[in-house]
Amino acid sequence: MTDSDSVDGGVDVTPPPDDGPPAHPVAELDDVTKQYRSGDEVIDALSHVDFAVEPGEMVAVMGPSGSGKSTLLNVLGLLDVPTSGIVRLDGDDVTSYDDEQRTMARRRTIGFVFQSFHLVPMLTATENVLVPTMFVRGNQRDRAEDLLHRMGLGDRLDHRPDQLSGGQRQRVAIARALINEPRLVLADEPTGNLDRDTGRKILEEFERISSERDVGVVAVTHDELVTEFTDRTVELIDGVVQ
Amino acid sequence: MIDFLDAPALRMAWLNLWRNRLRTGLAALGVVIGVVAIAAIGITGTAIQTGATQQLGDISNTVTVFPGEDNTDGIITDSQVNAIERAAAGATVVPQRSEAMTVSSRSESRRVTVEATSQPASLYTASAGTIPSPMRSGVLLSEEMAADLGVSLGQTVSVDGRSYRVVAILEPSGGFGPGGVSVVLPLDAIDRDGYDQVTVVATGGADAQRLAQVIPAEVNQRDQVVDTFTPADIQQAISGFFATLNAALLGVGSISLVVAGVSILNVMLMSVVERRAEIGVFRAVGIRRREVMRMILAEAALLGVVGGLVGVVLSVVIGYTVNAQLLGDPMLVFASRNLLFLGLGFGFAVFASTISGLYPAWKASTANPVEVLRG
Repeated sequence: MTDSDSVDGGVDVTPPPDDGPPAHPVAELDDVTKQYRSGDEVIDALSHVDFAVEPGEMVAVMGPSGSGKSTLLNVLGLLDVPTSGIVRLDGDDVTSYDDEQRTMARRRTIGFVFQSFHLVPMLTATENVLVPTMFVRGNQRDRAEDLLHRMGLGDRLDHRPDQLSGGQRQRVAIARALINEPRLVLADEPTGNLDRDTGRKILEEFERISSERDVGVVAVTHDELVTEFTDRTVELIDGVVQ
Repeated sequence: MIDFLDAPALRMAWLNLWRNRLRTGLAALGVVIGVVAIAAIGITGTAIQTGATQQLGDISNTVTVFPGEDNTDGIITDSQVNAIERAAAGATVVPQRSEAMTVSSRSESRRVTVEATSQPASLYTASAGTIPSPMRSGVLLSEEMAADLGVSLGQTVSVDGRSYRVVAILEPSGGFGPGGVSVVLPLDAIDRDGYDQVTVVATGGADAQRLAQVIPAEVNQRDQVVDTFTPADIQQAISGFFATLNAALLGVGSISLVVAGVSILNVMLMSVVERRAEIGVFRAVGIRRREVMRMILAEAALLGVVGGLVGVVLSVVIGYTVNAQLLGDPMLVFASRNLLFLGLGFGFAVFASTISGLYPAWKASTANPVEVLRG
């Protein structure tokens, strides 16, 4: 849909990383399998999945419930570890990172946007945006307010989530995902709780982020609308990429 | 207000406590009760003990030496008095005789035990007139005796037929010891050998207790010719009793703080389970385990601080009232020992609360961020 020049969807072989611009994907799954044990049955939530997101690329992951979409997002977002296979983040193999390392990698590199926004109810919009930075030295308040201004929430800085509409809440959540200048933004059903018009505006926001900031965006969704805005769509059925 | 970026854990803790005001209030109430149980009981105990000690205070530095059970004559001889003086170097040694005699004024007559000594000034204080030192003439009457006989300072009474001028009226002395005397005469008014008892005035309670041991050891060779008694022993026993009582009550108070700690544990655990999703989001956006722990611990500690402060204020109010009623001086509530109790109550409250927050904090920090994305 987008005609941004940074889109380079055809690349699936990583060139040597020593030359100029970072040509490797922001995130990459290499033959990743994730198994869950349910009783004495073993379920493959992901089965030998290869997947990559390039900087500035926006990818939709679609599939029916239980197809492994969420597991894919969890593994990409370093919230879960694969049973086998390799996870790379910005070219680094992060598969064997411990909890602390994964947390710090999330803090540095990944922004999350959730279906039900998951804002902290007692905090103002600005404070919610600052949550990922709250234990980090340095005052990011100006940056948080700047992000909210750009999301069109300049007059809602001190509002609490219950004083905001669904679309406004999701914008706050997007600003929160961007506060640490991530390389990768992961969105779980970002339009799931929004009406169609608002959903469209939120998706335009994601599109803008991915092209302007050279950020890889992965959106897991049921919503066909999302595919209108993404560079490509990955279909997942029973843990297998179609 | 607490700034979000300066003290994020504290701000989150404050907001979370505020979010569940009723629950927070009830959990803090447990802490308040615990602190009051420790501090108010401690302060009240101090007040009662101080009151009791005040009653005994004046006379606790005396040692009474009297004939022991092996003393066939029933008296203390001059040489024994010399031995006592050697043993009690530095203290004032006052030999006394006593005998039942008839004391009469013009209108009234009483048969009482009369005490004879040459140094009554060491033992008694006058409320009117002066006690001569040494006393060679005249008579000292207690206020009660003077009133009974209907005589006042400067008038004359007769004791067993001899006339004495009233030179001083004695202040009543409270509690134990050489109080309760009604008539004091010069030593030679009772004319016989030896003494019925010897009072040793030590420099303080501890010294009196020491002399009560030293004097019999020095004077008694093989037979127990003299024995001693000091109210300081009683005073110490009473102090010991109060100390034990206080310790027991403090123990009860501490238990109530432990109970408060358990209720904080329960409340925090509930609140952590409720906030699983929120904590999962924190973890997902890059808040570390120990930072989550810090938030929850700050919450528990803050609960202890708030409850502790309210408890301290209440305890001061209670202590203020008790000290005003019992001792007539409400400001004694700020005596150093009471400040210790207040500090102890507050410190234990914060300590117990923080300890109670450990498990919920650990539980929260291990919350699996994956579960959030299923929401």
